[in-house]
Amino acid sequence: VKITSMATTAPGPGPVAGASDAIPWLTWFLWLAVGFFAIFPFIVAYMVWAERKVAGRFQDRIGPNRVGPFGLLQPIADALKLITKESIVPDAADRVVHLLAPVLMMISAFLVLAVIPFGFGSLDRANRLTGFLPADLPSGLLFLVAVSSLSPLGIFLAGWSSRNKFALLGGMRGVAQLVSYEIPQVLSAVPILLWAGSLSLVRIVDQQVDSGLWNVFIPPGFLAFGILLIASLAEVNRTPFDLPEAESEIIAGFHTEYSAMRFGLFFLAEYLNMFGVACLATTLFLGGGSLPFGSFPKSLLLSGGSVLLVNLIAIGIFLAKVAFFVFLMFWVRATLPRLRVDQLMNFAWKALVPLSLANVLIAAVWFEMALRPGGPGVLWAWLATAVMVVLTVYLAIKGLNLGLKTVPGARRRLILPEPTTAIAAPTATTTV
Amino acid sequence: VILRVLFLLTASLGVIAALGTVLARNLVHAALFLVGFFFVVACQFVLLDAEFLAAIQVLIYIGAVAILILFGIMLTRNVQGDETTSGPAIGRLPGAFAAVAILAVLVTGIVKSTSPGGRPSWSSQVVRPAIAAGSDDPRSRSIRTGMAPVVGVELLTRYVVAFEVAGLLLTAAVVGAIALAHASAAATPGPGSGEGSASSSSPDGEAEPAGAEALVS
Repeated sequence: VKITSMATTAPGPGPVAGASDAIPWLTWFLWLAVGFFAIFPFIVAYMVWAERKVAGRFQDRIGPNRVGPFGLLQPIADALKLITKESIVPDAADRVVHLLAPVLMMISAFLVLAVIPFGFGSLDRANRLTGFLPADLPSGLLFLVAVSSLSPLGIFLAGWSSRNKFALLGGMRGVAQLVSYEIPQVLSAVPILLWAGSLSLVRIVDQQVDSGLWNVFIPPGFLAFGILLIASLAEVNRTPFDLPEAESEIIAGFHTEYSAMRFGLFFLAEYLNMFGVACLATTLFLGGGSLPFGSFPKSLLLSGGSVLLVNLIAIGIFLAKVAFFVFLMFWVRATLPRLRVDQLMNFAWKALVPLSLANVLIAAVWFEMALRPGGPGVLWAWLATAVMVVLTVYLAIKGLNLGLKTVPGARRRLILPEPTTAIAAPTATTTV
Repeated sequence: VILRVLFLLTASLGVIAALGTVLARNLVHAALFLVGFFFVVACQFVLLDAEFLAAIQVLIYIGAVAILILFGIMLTRNVQGDETTSGPAIGRLPGAFAAVAILAVLVTGIVKSTSPGGRPSWSSQVVRPAIAAGSDDPRSRSIRTGMAPVVGVELLTRYVVAFEVAGLLLTAAVVGAIALAHASAAATPGPGSGEGSASSSSPDGEAEPAGAEALVS
């Protein structure tokens, strides 16, 4: 518990309030106390519950249903168990680093949420949204990328400090995977920056709401959305990409030697990361808390509606979209088997990176044709970029095999002729 | 006053982290101290109202360079990294001399420097040397509202040659890394075991972070 409080106080500036600027300090304090201490851990707890329920349905069973109605108290029971268990640090482990690693993961996961605009806020003088979020940085997206790049460090340190070969293997895999997939993830956000002309996530949402066209409905935006989803899945170590903690190969990967609440912190960080990437995808591509093809909650705000009401609606829509993404991740986990290491690397470097680079060019075409005044207009731009996107994806599939096929020759000898090394754990049919 | 206290606090933390980097016997600990130092530098950027540079600092130095260093340690040395290192004693004297010399050059350079506008350098000013604080001309106002466009314009106009040269250098590094990895992968096919497939990714692993760095920057 002590470590949790350390990690959660880290994201914001401490309570060193100056008298003159008390208001921002107060809102930050509220965000820290209410958001980061109460709401986000609560969301994580019920994401775990939802995942167990959903996975249960996928496997034709019921899922947790004993503790409370519908098993709703199960996460609380689990949390109590994790907190009261004995926390063991291996004798050979590097103590300080061992304790530091989960805290780093938590800090990274929490800081990501600091720049996500959950609601619309109010309007500024230019009728732009101010956003309802802890901190609207002018370079918010960059901040998000930067802090999420701390998590490979946490994984590496966890794997290294445990003095356990499985943990080390998991750590190495984790770092290689996270570093590789970070690149397509970042590159897929470049078109959005180009169109919004700003790194601020609030501005990005505002641009989509004003144009009435979510970025996902633009052909290069759609491709970027797909790339971002896949890369994010890999960034949060979810199932087709869960090699760093592949339980059928390397026990539990980088967190093999962690127990009790320290393990719980990794767990918390993983689910917070899932929540974070779902928020990111919603913000970048699905227009935040707005309805499609219009500027619904903002139009209410423009016509003088109540700020509170509009924000409640916007947050509701936002959370519904996030819930959809989270469900998508559960669904993928219950469906797909794990990739092999070489497939993983090939897919990132030979398929996703070239695709996202080409997509940046197509995004520039969209910018010139649709957004620049005097261009041929949105319809022509849509058709032209759609053709280009389809062509690019086709070429990638034909020419590059999406990086998934084993190259005959050198690689062939490294892989045993078994069909897959991965076991599709959740999908194993449970017919009696 | 608060800012000055914060500055002194972060600066002293930075000095501690830097000393730790140099004095730590365990390489991974040294790398960790280095990460701490990079983070302190990012904090200093924040104190200077340059949050864009702070984010870049964290992204490049912690997210890419530090990870690369750790990767290097993992792939080239005893994997568990238990061993402690100490250089030969004879190398210490020249090392210390070089360090002191560099320090002297840097200190005189910083103290004697003047900004392009002809004003004395920040080190001789009493007020907080923020780029954007104080003056109210349109340029510093645009830096305050968003630093990224300003940096981008500077990079592609005034510093375009340096920018291109850096790009060329990184491209050459990527090509070289891929060539090296390719040659060694062709020469030594790994053992055909499950363990082999994990370790065989190491040549790729070496090439990839280099690529990562190039793309990021």
